[in-house]
Amino acid sequence: MGKRQNRVLLKIIIVVPYMLVLYIFQSMVFPYLKIAGVSPLLLPLAVAGAALFNGRVAGGVIGIFAGVLCDLSFNHSTIVFTVFLAVAGVLLGAVCDSVLVKGFPSYLLCCICLLFLCGFVQMFPLVFLHGVPVLPLMGVVLRQTLYSIFFTIPIYYMARFVSRVI
Amino acid sequence: MKDFITKKGIYIAIAAVVIAIIAAVSVAISGGRGDLASMLSQPFFRPLRSAMTALVDSLESIYNYMYSYDEMEAENQELRNRVAELEEEYREYTQMSQEVDRLRELLGFSETREELKFTPVSVISWTASNFASSFTISRGSNAGIELYDAVVTSTGYLVGQVTGVTASSATVTTILDTTMSIGARVYESGGTGVAQGDFQLFLDNKLKMAYLSEDDEIIIGDTVVTSGEGGLFPSDLVIGYVESLVASDSGLEDYAIIRPAADINGVTDVYVVTETAIGGTEVR
Repeated sequence: MGKRQNRVLLKIIIVVPYMLVLYIFQSMVFPYLKIAGVSPLLLPLAVAGAALFNGRVAGGVIGIFAGVLCDLSFNHSTIVFTVFLAVAGVLLGAVCDSVLVKGFPSYLLCCICLLFLCGFVQMFPLVFLHGVPVLPLMGVVLRQTLYSIFFTIPIYYMARFVSRVI
Repeated sequence: MKDFITKKGIYIAIAAVVIAIIAAVSVAISGGRGDLASMLSQPFFRPLRSAMTALVDSLESIYNYMYSYDEMEAENQELRNRVAELEEEYREYTQMSQEVDRLRELLGFSETREELKFTPVSVISWTASNFASSFTISRGSNAGIELYDAVVTSTGYLVGQVTGVTASSATVTTILDTTMSIGARVYESGGTGVAQGDFQLFLDNKLKMAYLSEDDEIIIGDTVVTSGEGGLFPSDLVIGYVESLVASDSGLEDYAIIRPAADINGVTDVYVVTETAIGGTEVR
């Protein structure tokens, strides 16, 4: 096996468990540990980390992976989050490459933006297809974002560790 | 020796007589229970003897403890294993007992609804979304579960509807979800409407019954059941109970707030209605 293949294998060995751990916590642990009626989103935080530390390509790839897992955890039959997080990863990576300094404040900013966008993506079908009023939905988006922000600190260090490997 | 006895004989004899007298007196005083030597020595030797006995007993117990330690450890381990086995048996028994209770409830319910066929399933996981109410169940199309099958508790309370199926699992959207609409009827008055999820009520684990007729006489506490209209749900499955009535100015948008009969967020084992035969004809 060549060096390049070894490196790809190492990336897979590191990234797959990292994403799966976040998926397990997001879909199997936190739905039972709701605070103020909401559970946090963890997978978008991994996308923000990959975009910040590794740029647009890694942001896109991790975005696809995280999106698939998000759709699974939301019981979605569609691929809304697969597309959204992939695009968000690429765009966020491009912004991080050109504008932001690699550090926790930048990561926190990226996470807040991404979490709000995720909330909007989740609430749009309810607003446009089912006529749900925006205000209660915004309340849930806000609570979801605040709860998720607690997890930026551990996931920042995990993302930084993973970025050094990949 | 001869000289010694000759010279000191008299003293020895006197001493012997004195000792004999004292001994005789002491025996007489003690009633023949002991001799002088033992009487004199007891106050000194009794504590010593007691201490020695205690020491020997301690040494003996230590010896026994060391000698039988392995045996005791093995026995202890065996007892621990036995306790673990009994605890496991107790857990299994509790689970089986709960399952029996559920099946007994279902049997009671299914006897009243012979046209329905139920498939028992377990809830695997709940959605991570804060905007929806759905869960994944342990069986899918291999067990005969199909899209839009109704899902109930063992007592026949409506929980939701199958909205996604794979071979080995299925997704159930609960009646609290904003996307759900169910043809409903008030059991007491016969008034009809649509039980539907409402996002604001969903946060309080409730739903509403809309499109009520002005003529309907609905009272708080009335039972809301499925009407069976539309063919998606079998009729007369209990949805919940009227908790309050909300009137609009025009009267066109009056609705009732319904508290679900089933503990939606607490369900762990549910039953999918896989067949609904009415008058011998299977409908879905």
